[in-house]
Amino acid sequence: MEIDRDNNDDNSRRIQVRFVTKLKAPYKVPTTAIAIPSDLSRLGLSSIVNNLLQAVNSEWKTEPFDFLIDGELVRMSLEQFLIAKGISAEKILEVEYIRAVAPRKEEEPSPHDDWVSAVDGSSPRFILTGCYDGLGRVWKEAGLCTHILEGHSGAISSVSVITSEGAGSATVATASKDRTLRLWKFDADDNSDHPSKIRAFKILRGHNASVQSVAANTSGDMVCSGSWDATINLWRTNESDTDGDVVSIKKRKVNNKAEESQSEGEAVSTLVGHTQCVSCVVWPRKETIFSASWDHSVRQWDAETGKDVSDIFCGKVLNCIDIGGEGSALIAAGGSDPILRIWDPRKPGSSAPVFQFSSHSSWISTCKWHNSSSLHLLSSSYDGKVMLWDLRTAWPLSIIDTHKDKVLCADWWKGDSVVSGGADTQLRISSDIFIQ
Amino acid sequence: MTRQESQKPKKVNSLEKRDMGLIEGVNKDSLDDNHDQDEHSESSESHEAVDESNSSEDEVAPRNTIGDVPLEWYKDEKHIGYDITGKKIKKKERQDKLDSFLASADDSKNWRKIYDEYNDEEVELTKEETKLIRRLLKGKAPHAEFDPYADYVDWFKWDDAIHPLSNAPEPKRRFIPSKWESKKVVQYVRAIRKGWIKFDKPKEEPPFYLLWGDDSSSADRTKHLAYIPPPKPKLPGHEESYNPSLEYIPTQEEINSYQLMYEEDRPKFIPKRFTSLRSIPAYENAVKDSFERCLDLYLCPRVRKKRINIDPESLKPKLPSRKDLRPYPLTCYLEYKGHDDAVLSISVEPSGQWIASGSKDGTVRIWEVETGRCLKVWEIGEAVQHVAWNPLQELPILAVSAGPDVLILNTGFGNEEQQRKIKELLHIGTTTSSNDSDDLSDYLSWLQDEKHDCIRLRHYRLITCSYSRVFLNLLTRESRAILIHQLSKKLTQRLPFKLYGLAVTSVFHPTRSIFFVATKKNVRVYDLLKQKLIKKLETQLREVSSIAVHPAGDNVIVGSKEGKLCWFDMDLSSKPYKTLKCHPKDITNVAFHRSYPLFASCSDDCTAYVFHGMVYADLNQNPLIVPLEILRGHKSSDGRGVLDCKFHPRQPWLFTAGADSSIKLFCH
Repeated sequence: MEIDRDNNDDNSRRIQVRFVTKLKAPYKVPTTAIAIPSDLSRLGLSSIVNNLLQAVNSEWKTEPFDFLIDGELVRMSLEQFLIAKGISAEKILEVEYIRAVAPRKEEEPSPHDDWVSAVDGSSPRFILTGCYDGLGRVWKEAGLCTHILEGHSGAISSVSVITSEGAGSATVATASKDRTLRLWKFDADDNSDHPSKIRAFKILRGHNASVQSVAANTSGDMVCSGSWDATINLWRTNESDTDGDVVSIKKRKVNNKAEESQSEGEAVSTLVGHTQCVSCVVWPRKETIFSASWDHSVRQWDAETGKDVSDIFCGKVLNCIDIGGEGSALIAAGGSDPILRIWDPRKPGSSAPVFQFSSHSSWISTCKWHNSSSLHLLSSSYDGKVMLWDLRTAWPLSIIDTHKDKVLCADWWKGDSVVSGGADTQLRISSDIFIQ
Repeated sequence: MTRQESQKPKKVNSLEKRDMGLIEGVNKDSLDDNHDQDEHSESSESHEAVDESNSSEDEVAPRNTIGDVPLEWYKDEKHIGYDITGKKIKKKERQDKLDSFLASADDSKNWRKIYDEYNDEEVELTKEETKLIRRLLKGKAPHAEFDPYADYVDWFKWDDAIHPLSNAPEPKRRFIPSKWESKKVVQYVRAIRKGWIKFDKPKEEPPFYLLWGDDSSSADRTKHLAYIPPPKPKLPGHEESYNPSLEYIPTQEEINSYQLMYEEDRPKFIPKRFTSLRSIPAYENAVKDSFERCLDLYLCPRVRKKRINIDPESLKPKLPSRKDLRPYPLTCYLEYKGHDDAVLSISVEPSGQWIASGSKDGTVRIWEVETGRCLKVWEIGEAVQHVAWNPLQELPILAVSAGPDVLILNTGFGNEEQQRKIKELLHIGTTTSSNDSDDLSDYLSWLQDEKHDCIRLRHYRLITCSYSRVFLNLLTRESRAILIHQLSKKLTQRLPFKLYGLAVTSVFHPTRSIFFVATKKNVRVYDLLKQKLIKKLETQLREVSSIAVHPAGDNVIVGSKEGKLCWFDMDLSSKPYKTLKCHPKDITNVAFHRSYPLFASCSDDCTAYVFHGMVYADLNQNPLIVPLEILRGHKSSDGRGVLDCKFHPRQPWLFTAGADSSIKLFCH
């Protein structure tokens, strides 16, 4: 009796839905409306869609899906969602489904000798990492190190790929706690099993305290760096000094091997304005530099004039910043609290963040926008987790907690992988993430 | 039964009918017989009239249904009341005055017409009715048949009466007012005027008083000077009954145990059971008890206690809400792990990038604040009591006290030029200039330590050390003397102050050449240039454990081993401005923030307290102290909790070093 009544209750709370998608052929389901119980959550919806797909295609492998209703990701039971959003359940509900953004494959960790403090995955051909033992490393794939960048006397705090297009050579910059930056050049297509050691072709001196962050501009002829001495320095990346010409250097290089090839560079200009350590710089467009600092501010600089264009105050120490999102205008920053904040500088008259994500439980060490998607970003935290976020929901899309200690750095790689390094001396690659 | 009942009303009906017939008969027979019958006839007449009206009602329907309502209410309305369905009953249209006049002139019978307001109609009087009215106007009986002068009929039977009724006329005295009465009234009036008669009787006092009543409430007694009622003796309870319940009777064991008690703890009365009142002996303590009661009443001074009814909440000082005092350290996000034993001391580099820590395991470590990474380790070999960074950022050197030595370590930070300077500073040439103070060389020597490439200051016995910002001097304190070491000249000076008691801790003034020395009970403030005592602060504490100076220099906080924290306003007085009793155990250290209005204390109870301590530029305004947060997280080890706390120089963050060998960073 009771069971029967329960069933009746369930039957009475059914919702008419129609599944739609923008995905291509194998993922399409018939667009007829079906009635489903209203207490289904994302998992139940996903299994329904999988069943529908299996009905069409018998050798279908189950695949997790994510569901969008009115541009918002469903993160509770359907009924609760409808009540919370005030959507009527009377008419047929259109539910859009997308492939869930979650790593499906965890690759072998790449061991380092010390804490991995910096990683850059902006080049699809290699991963560049910086380590506390003062060495930079270039990884072809998981576990395959091709180059070791040798020369820093202190821990590397930040790395940045300057150019990687060329026929084989790539230029990268590293910032270190020994107060210098170094520029390196190597052949990215080198396929030797044994990692080759490389020396820097240029040493940039000028900071008075450890350099925390380095970023290259889009054209690759300049880099900027933020340091504990509260300044941001701009540097040229060409091989010669400002007055010397390239030919003579090359001659010398032929004659006297590596030692002579190292040139020293001085800062082109210095941006002064921050009062405390500049913890992170980004150079997303040719003319603007963004910086985050321990003085609780995010500043926007004009790269040409060196003027402070605008600043946002946050109230917390900031450790990382990235520019991206819609129209690559949103500023994401994290720092000395577990909240990842996103500002929209185009919004006039308010410095309140437009989004706040607070699922972490400790300081946030990195945040990075996805290259192609304007909705996705990742954040890594000292609680040992890397989280993938979608602006359409306040819950993380997925949590990568393979690290056993603090995660110090993380980045996207090749558009479908997340590389992250931490205090457990491993570089982890979580791949096969599908992002539209 | 039913038949009987049905018969009864029939009888009644028949009786009534008979009565009716009788009355009618009388009416028909003799209308003008006598007075008594007149009433009957009236009633019968009215009865007939009712009958008549009934017949007339049958003919004409009642027009007015408004009931007993004054008609002037509708004087100005077009309707006169409402009918049964609620519709308005319209008034008849009135004739014109002229028309009515003309009609009266034409119609000879018009004078007989009367307007009936109530029914709103004109009535024509009949001839009989006019006759009736005429008789009424003349003052005669209305009906012509009525005889007002009928013969008297004597109804009383006089024949067989024994007592004749007096037929005598009423005496005169019955019609004149009484003489004696008026005399009596005059008498009363006189008595009232003279006051012999009183109308408000005096209240009678009750001849009895409440024997068991509350003395304090009796009004006449409290009127007198400060009468304090004696405390009431304890009333007897169940156990003092002659036959108490069994549970009141103590067992033999209990009675025996009473003997082991102290005299004053022993119960005075031991309940006993008696089967009857007869068998109760005399109470042996009766005299003694009453004597003691009298003694109590006589000898114990009685004091009236005034209880004031005040809401305790209203006595609390008005403090600003914690939300408005942000930022302050709240949650622990980072931990610096690596020491093997209790961390005794920490020190933050002036820029806030690194912190140094000294531990009981004999190591000094330098940590990176933002990641929690240990950058450098020095093995000293002995428990490191104190570490201190040079407050000058340009010379990143570290002073470490371990055992009897003070080591001055080169941290290796800073650029090349700074490193060169440091190396110069830390190098001791062959000609040490400590010979100018002979007595000092006995127990102090400057040595070059090869292992750590630093200076080692060997003391006889050392307790603490602290740095001055002004002199780049190092202040070390021995058991009985205070020494100042000048690094640039490699010179040690003994300060010529007499210490009263064992010095506990000392600290430099942040800006001026003043320093503070805390002994067990007091804090003394010395001027280094003038070499004299400026002030003595009386802490009123049992044992001072730590001291910190506000960055402006006029306020000092002192922590004590009994868990009390004193705030001194040096301009105000030498007594504490405020004493905060917060920690249940020893306060191990106190700290001020360099730029935020914050101060903190840490204690062996494994907590650190954070306070808001605002010092105003206006001298008239007292400092504002608000407790903000209790920071927990450290574990107790060997009975010790948090051993040191230091604020980050630029952020509202607090570092705490615990006996559980960890350092925690609490962020806002």
